Order: sequence, then structure tokens, then C-alpha cells
Amino acid sequence: MAQVEFRDVTRRYTRELTALRNLDLVVSDGEFLVLVGPSGCGKSTALRLLAGLDTPTSGDVKIDGATVNHLGPGQRDIAMVFQNYALYPHMSVYQNLAYGLRQRKTPRREIDQRVRDTAALLEIDALLDRKPGQLSGGQRQRVAMGRALVRRPRAFLLDEPLSNLDAKLRTQVRGDLKRLHREVPVTSIYVTHDQVEAMTLGDRLCVMANGEVQQIGTPDDIYSRPANTFVAAFMGSPPMNLVPGLVRGGTLHIGDVPVMEVAAPDGAVTVGARPEHLQLRPDSEPGVLAARVDFCERLGSHVLVHALVELAGDDGPVRMILQAPAEADHDAGSRIAVGLNPDRTHLFDGETGNARRNRARVLMSNGPSLPI
Amino acid sequence: MLREPLTSSRSPRPSPIQRWSESLTGWALVGPGAVLILVFGGLPVLMSLTLSFQKSDLLSTDAPWVGFDNYRKLATDPLFVEAIKHTLVYTALFVPGTMLVGLLVAVAMNRSLRFISVYRTAAYLTMAVSTISQGIIFMWLTDQNYGLVNAALNTVGIESQPFLSSPSQALYVIVAMTIWGWTGFAVIIYLAALQAVPAELHEAAAVDGASRLTRFRTITVPLLGPANLFLLVWLSINALQLFDEVYLTTRGGPLRSTSVIVYYLWDQAFVQFNAGYAAAMAYALFVVVVIITAVQFRITRKYVHNT
Amino acid sequence: MSSTTELAIDTVLDDAKEELPAAPRRRRLPFSPWHLVLIPLTFVLIAPLVWMLITSLQTHAEATHFPPVLVPQHPRFQNYADAWAAAPFGHFLLNSLIVTLVVLVSNLVVCSLAGYAFARVRFLGRGALFLTLMATLMVPFQVTMIPVFLIVKWFGDNVWDALGIDHIGALMLPNLATAFGVFFLRQFFTTIPVELEEAARVDGTSRLGVLFKIVLPLSLPAMSTLAALTVLTSWNDFMWPLIVVTSTDQMTIPLGLSYFQGAHNTQWPLLMAANVMSLVPMLAVFLVAQKYFVQSVASTGLKG
Repeated sequence: MAQVEFRDVTRRYTRELTALRNLDLVVSDGEFLVLVGPSGCGKSTALRLLAGLDTPTSGDVKIDGATVNHLGPGQRDIAMVFQNYALYPHMSVYQNLAYGLRQRKTPRREIDQRVRDTAALLEIDALLDRKPGQLSGGQRQRVAMGRALVRRPRAFLLDEPLSNLDAKLRTQVRGDLKRLHREVPVTSIYVTHDQVEAMTLGDRLCVMANGEVQQIGTPDDIYSRPANTFVAAFMGSPPMNLVPGLVRGGTLHIGDVPVMEVAAPDGAVTVGARPEHLQLRPDSEPGVLAARVDFCERLGSHVLVHALVELAGDDGPVRMILQAPAEADHDAGSRIAVGLNPDRTHLFDGETGNARRNRARVLMSNGPSLPI
Repeated sequence: MLREPLTSSRSPRPSPIQRWSESLTGWALVGPGAVLILVFGGLPVLMSLTLSFQKSDLLSTDAPWVGFDNYRKLATDPLFVEAIKHTLVYTALFVPGTMLVGLLVAVAMNRSLRFISVYRTAAYLTMAVSTISQGIIFMWLTDQNYGLVNAALNTVGIESQPFLSSPSQALYVIVAMTIWGWTGFAVIIYLAALQAVPAELHEAAAVDGASRLTRFRTITVPLLGPANLFLLVWLSINALQLFDEVYLTTRGGPLRSTSVIVYYLWDQAFVQFNAGYAAAMAYALFVVVVIITAVQFRITRKYVHNT
Repeated sequence: MSSTTELAIDTVLDDAKEELPAAPRRRRLPFSPWHLVLIPLTFVLIAPLVWMLITSLQTHAEATHFPPVLVPQHPRFQNYADAWAAAPFGHFLLNSLIVTLVVLVSNLVVCSLAGYAFARVRFLGRGALFLTLMATLMVPFQVTMIPVFLIVKWFGDNVWDALGIDHIGALMLPNLATAFGVFFLRQFFTTIPVELEEAARVDGTSRLGVLFKIVLPLSLPAMSTLAALTVLTSWNDFMWPLIVVTSTDQMTIPLGLSYFQGAHNTQWPLLMAANVMSLVPMLAVFLVAQKYFVQSVASTGLKG
């Protein structure tokens, strides 16, 4: 087990294509860290750089304090679970598990012991004589994990290991992974584009986009205190509502409605509020937004109300999603009023005409009782 | 409501009229091809069998029945035995030789470099060269007096060799010639097989600590199994049927040292006009080919490893 | 109590001072070292062809000089004209073209019709017929060549003498359809989703219309691959022409070349020039349609 560190790591392919830019990240010993972001954000690149399957253009990759840039993948004492499992098709499950140990000239008896122990742990001991072609997807996934575990590596790298499983299996394996990490707390770096996996599995998350880190923090940090609009919109399903707003004289306006008092400088902002933090209010209340219901999604436990909020000006109505209790019933087209919770409203810098897309800094989360 | 008859198995049972109409359509479409193949590929098989039990000079209608005489003669014919020997020696050298050369070239070319497509094209090119052209080129290359190969040998102190004029060397020259001609084919097969090995497997093996050579030995080579089997069978069957190059370069000589089965067969059929005897010989060859193909079939069935 | 929160990005504690920043691996050469292996290798592979070309431009004296002259003093292009005149190459080329073209078109048409029928039409006896036709694939040419000679002779004597012995018709006739072609196209047709054909039928297309309007347009790659293979085998075929044809005006290129070699076997430059002329058509076709030739080989490797 070891500490893993990326120090100012950049991976550039051509003048136009930089896959990873200035990654600074420390993963503590035994921590389960999730790299999450959309396709092309650089998370797989980072993983491969750590594995030694690729070399950084600049920066250091360190394991246990030592720079490993020039070491091949086999010399870093790390193990990897590939997205498509990459099991050796011509070898039995036993031989697949034993392969890495055999390369390290481990004595045969020890190999046997460790292979069988690992197989038992993952409940694949009945499959040891079969070939990968004879296994189901879920079984193959476990063999892939077993092959990594049996090596007792310093770090465990997982590249979207659940993406090839069907939904039900995915949920089950997610739970297995969590339990596994509790029993065998190896430093783990897990790559996924699925934010649910990220939120449930990670001790900490590193949200990435376009080769750059957007935010690093615990799931709660990421969810409750997103660092920018990208993180805000990416994490959470349905995503956080983001609408343009204006701060004038200490008051936040959305459209021409003064919504709440904020201690922020004047200027354009992006206002963020999660569906579960919006409320249907009586329209006589001050600070509510007038809206029309577009449609409702009834999910059994709650209802998602898709509403169109009219803002003043020539921009069209803005779409917002509210979460309402299961009994709520609103016809399409009916008028409602949306209220924001001052404790749960996020402000992002609304930079206009800027080179950086949607990259904003939180100016203010307002309200007296603010959990930071 | 009348439904259009569809071919999918999910459609309802077609009526007898629809079935006949389907059959007629089917026969009409299949007709020309089936007739041609049966007339020129099927019927001759039976005719050959009949011929092998006759004494025929191919052109006259007089062809008396001689039963198994032709086959008995085959078993004791020293020329036939000699032809078998030469063919086997040739096959034993040609098949592994081509596979080895093909594999080495394919491994060298299994990487993405600039100009790799140019290199590969050059490797494949020999496929397009006809057997006759190959023969002529190699006759020239190995010419006893003026050939390039002898010139090269001289520069390292070896004296000029007779090559195709020598009973002890001619067959080996033909081996070399045909290996060259078939390399392109083998390279294509091996290259396809090498590229079918997913990059992830190599990566996983690298992460597991295997060196490049170990990866080649334990991952790549075993996965080449099907390609190896295919080439073994395909090349062997072609080796047994060696003819063109022998006809062109040596006519079976010198001193019958390059007499191979099919050359002897052709000679018997179309030069000596012993058609019956030649047919028997052809059937013997047929049996061997069937055996080889059957063995291959068996082995591929047992060889189940899915990626 | 209001507070300002700043963006939180973990910063790494800068503790390691002794390590140098990593530099990307620098190559000693500006190109991959594999070129140093591949260039000689490629050269060795095509050296025989290169030598053939060089010899074809030499004078007889240069060619018979020993040690060999590697670069001819004045390239003698006249050799080509001489070779062309020394044997009826015009006939050889024309015959090869006609035979190959006819065999190609015939195969593509007949085999696609039959292949489609085996793939998509339910007719009586389909299974048995298919097996029988495929069985003929296992039969080596030597078994059928003698009877086919007799059959072709019969055609020549009784139907049309252009189809008979010593005519190019005899070269075409046995090859107008191959079991391999039928097999290959049938396999391909079965991979086309049947729903496409059904949708067309529902839209009113006739049974055969589906073949021509839906299936064949989608089969271009497979047809091209089969075409490449057919052209190659037909053009380079030697043994069958040898058996059937004796007159030079009916010979195809491989046979003509072997005849030329027999007549001029010590006139090396002339012979090489003839060889070059014989090779160029097929090499040119190969270079242009390389993709399909490669595919044709790869797919025979995957048959079954």
C-alpha cells in the first residue's frame, strides 16, 4: 500500500491536443479516489500515466514518494483492472490469476495459496479451471479484479470496470467493491464517467473536464459546495439548475424578480439550485419566480416537475426542474411559483464574453446558517 | 388480409402455393451456378473414379475395364514412390519455411510507423506474381554461369553452384522459390492474427510484469494457434499439388530429382496418355487431401478459446 | 454571519527537492529504429523483382557478364520491343484479358444469384444441394482435370468449337462459377440483417427486387473481395491452359511466357523484358485494389 502522487503532470500529444494539463493530486495510503468526468476529460490518461502505459510530457508521477516516470508498468508494483477485463483467453482462470505472480518468480506453493485465497474472496473458486470464454460478464469482471488483487499491489487502478455490466449487476458489484475495499484497503484509483458510481464509491473525488481538474473533495464537498458550474451541473441527477442572475446593490435578481439578499459585489452571476432545494410556493410570496409547468415525471417516491421560468428580456424561458413530494399533481401548462432556499443557493461568477467556458468562481453562498 | 410471404422464420407457415413459388425462385437462382459447378466440379469426380478403373488413352473411346489394376500398379510403381518422396521432402521444408518467414516479417511489420503501408505492400506483392514469372526470375537468379546468387557466393569465397542443374540441389531451389512466392500470403494471415490480439492484453501482461519477449511467448504465440493451423493445412495442401514451378524450371529433372506427384500425374495423363493410371493417382492424392482437411476440422473443433 | 468561500483545490505540499523534473524519453535518432530493420527486409523481399527489371534493360553482353553488371550502361528499352515481336504477346494479353473478364463477370453474377438463394430463399433440397456443392471444394484440381478435359472436348466437338480444346472458350467454361464464390457470397449475405429485406418487401419490393436494390448494393465490399481473388486466380492460372491450349494465338500470358522461355531460354534480357511485361498488369491491379486482395486472403483464413 502506498501513497500516490501526481505532481504537475501534463500529457500533450500535439500542439493542439493536450489530454491532461497540470494535474496535481495526492492520494493517501489506503484511500479510494475516484477520477470522474465526461469522455475526453483526461481521467483515463491520468490512470494510464500512473500505470506506466504512457509517459507524461512533463511533471512527476510518484509512488510512495519516489518518482516512477521511467519505470515500466511491470516495475511499479501496481495492478490494473481494465474496462474490457483483458483476460488471457487461452489460459484458465487459475492461470490468469497466477500470471502476474509467475512473472515475479513467486514460489509455486505461494502462488497456489494466494490464487485460491483470492478466488475464495471473490467467490470464483469454482471457476478456476474454466477459460474466460466460458464465463459470464460478471464472472469475468471478478476474475479481472482477482488478477489485480492476488498481486497485493501498492496501488489498485480501475478503468471503468463496471461499464460493461448490465444495470442490476452494476449496482451489486458496486456494493461488492465497497465491501472489498473495507476488507482490503489498498490505495485505489478508480476512473468512471458515472457520477453515481463516483459518489457512492469514492472517499474523495477528483472531477475533471477537458484535461483539467475542476474540483477535488469528498462526495459531500463536491455535491454541496461545487467549485464551478461544471461540477455543479455534472454531479447530481437530475443536475443542478443553473440560471443567469444579476446582483445589484446587495440583492440577487433573477429576471426582474428580486429573490434574496446576498453579500456579493454587483455583477452578472449564474445561480445554482438543486431540484430538491427548490420549492413550490404561493405566488403571493415575495422573491418567487413565476413559471409554467411543462411536464411532470412521476417516479413513485417523488415527482420531478419540469417548469419553464419566464425571465424578463428577450431570452426565452429558462427550464428548471423541481423535486416535489409524491402527491403533488400539476397539469401541463398550469402556473406555479418557484421559491429558492437561501441556505441552499449557489452563486457562480457569470463571466461574459470570456475565453473560459462556464468556469466560474463561487462568490457567495448566502444565509445565516451556512454549513461550510 | 393477405400477407406478403417473408423469409424470416418468424413469419406464419406459408401455404403450399407460396412454398412452391419460393422453391421455383430458389431453383431458378441457384440453377446456373449449380449446373456449372456440378458439371465441372461434381461430375468429373465420378468420371475420374470410373476412369481410374479403366485403361484409357484419353482420346480414343476404347477404354477396357481393368478393375483395381491401376491402383495396384501405383503401389508398386518406383517412379510414383520417388515422386511421393520428393513431394514429402518439399512439403516438409516449404511449409515450416513459409510459416517462419511469414511470421517474422509479420511481426516486424506489426507496428504503426510512417511508411508502414509501403513496407507491407512490398511484402504482400509477391502474391501477385504468377508461378511462371517466379520460376523465370529464380532460374535467372540461380543461373550456373551468370546468376546473381552465384556472384554473391563467389564474393564470400564459395564457388558457383549448379543449383537447378544439379540433382542434389534443384529441389531445394524450388523450395526457396516457392517460399518467396508464398510469403505475402503468410504475412497477410499472420498480420491479421497479430492485429486481432487486443492491445489491452499486452497492456495487462505488461502491468503483470511480463517482459516484451515473455509477452510474445506467452500471449501472442498461443493466440496465433488458429492462424498456424490454417497455414499448416492450406500450405500443405498446396505443397502436395506443386506443379507449375517444376514444369517451368526443371521438367521434373535433372535426373527426375524434382519429380513430384502432380508432375508425374500430368505427365502420365497428357504426355504418356495413361489416363486411367493418372486418374488413380489423382484419387490417391484426393484421399490424402481429404484426410488432412478432416484432421484440421477435428482440431479446430477442439480448439475453443474465445477472446 | 456571512462568509466568503474560495475555490478549493488541493495543493500539493512541495516537499521533494532532490528530484529533477521528468523529461519525455528522447530518441537518439529522429526516426524509429525499426526502419533500419524494415528497409533491408523489404528490399530483400522485392530484390528478385528489382533484379528482373535491371536485367530487362541490359544488353545481352552485359547480362552474360560475370560477375553481373549491377547498373546497365545505357538502359536498353529496345528489349521490350524485341520481346513483344518475338512472340505474339498481343494475343497473350488479349486472351488473358478476355478470359479473366468473362470469368469475373460470370462468377459475380452466377455466384451472387446462387449465394442469395442459399442464404435467403427456402427451396426444396437447399441443404443437400449446398452440401454437395461445398463438397466439391475439397477435390483437388488434378482429380477433375482429366474428365474436364474430356467434357470440354465434347463441348468443342458438339456445341461450339470456340469452347473446345485449343480455344480460349475452354479456358473460361470450367471456371464460370466456383463453389468458393457461392460459399463466400452466401456467408456474406447471411450477415445482412434480414429486417432490411423484410422492410423492403413490406414496402412493396418484389422478391428479386430485394436482391438487386437492397442486398447487392450492400455487398460491394464482399463482391470486390471476390472479384480480386477471381481476377488473380484466373490471370495467373497455368496448369489448365497448359493442358488445353497448344496454339500460341490461344495462349494466355502465363502459358505464353512459358512458351517464350522455352524458345528463348538463354536470351536473358529478352526473357526478363517479357517477364516484366507479363507481370505489370497484375501488379498494377494489385497495387490499386490492394485492400481487396488482402481481404480475400484474410477471409479464406477465416472460412468455416
